[in-house]
Amino acid sequence: MAILELEAVEKSFPARGGPAMLAMDRISLAVREGEFLSILGPSGCGKSTLLQIAAGLMPPSAGTVRVAGRPVTGPPPEAVYVFQQYGRSLLPWRTVRDNVAFAVEHRPGISKARARELADVQLAAVALTGFGDHFPWQLSGGMQQRVALARALAAEPKIMLLDEPFSAVDALTRLDLHRLMLELWEKRGLTVVLVTHDVEEAVALSDRVALLTKRPSTIARLVETGLPRPRDAVEVRETPRFLELRHELLDALLTRHAPGDGHAA
Amino acid sequence: MRPERLLRLLPGLAFLALLLLALEGAVNAGLIRRALMPPPSAIWEVLRDLVLSGEVLGPLSATLRLVFAGFAIGSVIGIALGAAMAWWAPAYRLLEPLVEMIRPLPKSALVPPLMLFLGIGDTMKITSVALAVTFPVLVNTLQGVRGVDRVLLDAARTHGWGTARALWHVVLPAALPFILAGMRTSLGLALIIAVLSEMLTGQGGLGFLILDMQRSFLIRQMYAWLVILALVGLALNALFAWAEARALHWQARTP
Repeated sequence: MAILELEAVEKSFPARGGPAMLAMDRISLAVREGEFLSILGPSGCGKSTLLQIAAGLMPPSAGTVRVAGRPVTGPPPEAVYVFQQYGRSLLPWRTVRDNVAFAVEHRPGISKARARELADVQLAAVALTGFGDHFPWQLSGGMQQRVALARALAAEPKIMLLDEPFSAVDALTRLDLHRLMLELWEKRGLTVVLVTHDVEEAVALSDRVALLTKRPSTIARLVETGLPRPRDAVEVRETPRFLELRHELLDALLTRHAPGDGHAA
Repeated sequence: MRPERLLRLLPGLAFLALLLLALEGAVNAGLIRRALMPPPSAIWEVLRDLVLSGEVLGPLSATLRLVFAGFAIGSVIGIALGAAMAWWAPAYRLLEPLVEMIRPLPKSALVPPLMLFLGIGDTMKITSVALAVTFPVLVNTLQGVRGVDRVLLDAARTHGWGTARALWHVVLPAALPFILAGMRTSLGLALIIAVLSEMLTGQGGLGFLILDMQRSFLIRQMYAWLVILALVGLALNALFAWAEARALHWQARTP
């Protein structure tokens, strides 16, 4: 069953002294409950825009988004968006613990103390026990992104929308975060939509990969990875199926010059 | 840290002491007319008496009351209007011409007309101070709120924060460095306008005394009150710097 549906979603931006620029053209996509789906595309193809529309942070120019069957007009309570720029999405004046408590402290019936308790639980889940009293700037980039993940988890979402959350950290930290993300996804029965330009990341983590074209972007392909679960983010990279998919998707990304020349799967 | 800081202050303090000594010498040597500029040692004696007798307290508290009340009221109004103008376009369009009209006007010039309406009591003085304080705070709040990172606001939205809550807990703290910079400018203005309004109304406080002593030709007393006023300014700045550092402690080592 689809928990998140995009139906003929279009987005155009006003262009200076000309007709509006069409960024995405009638994108339809149904994300199944509990799946890990990646949206893969070249830089500037509007992947993040698509995710923001799905998160209710930006209205589409045309088309509809539904979460759990309801049309999205603002950020739905089921979904939480995790930003690429972890350094900018955390509140610099709050400690790590209070940054995570941010996700729940405004909810009715939750005291400040309770919010902090819940925050500590999530910090433990991302292996940041003992860092609650630090300020974000005292942590490395990878750790800051884990704070952002803990904050998203604290909201107890059904859907996590991840906007290139692993792109700004070094390769080793990235693998570490991949493992963590897979573990969290498996344990919590989350639905994850990940936006990335990293083919290996998309294949290693996902059940399905949606490949976007350049602007105006459409979905060129929708590939089932068919890789086994539970999965190790490192070991999976040595399987023949992984290599095959990696080759296929890289090929598609590199040779796809003209927009919209793919066949929708 | 402490001794280092003292060491850094030392040359400046030594220079100040040297100037005072030179002044003392120049007055005693008859290079400066003693009637117009008494030697620092004579001023010091008056100053000591004013402090030890407790005579300083009345005028000091009168002036400080104006400064604090006007500063508080003006800051609240400035923050509220600045945030409203930054957040809500109709408020900006409505208020911008008015603000741009009054902002460059030296607020000291508004004391005489305010006297017509509010008399010469504390209401008028506090209003004058508040008016002077409002504008730098308003303009800085406007800039600070406008500059709040879109990502922070989206983070609040995706976590289900309502607008009012996001304003209070995200936008205002994020804009705080700007707001405090505006308040720091305003604090100096507050003291200026408080002293000026006391002079113009001929009532109470340090400003009045400085003018009154000058007119009575109690020159040493005039200088003594002037020194007290300078120390008040210094103390207010130090207090504000301390409060600012505490409020922005999280900024300490952000590059």
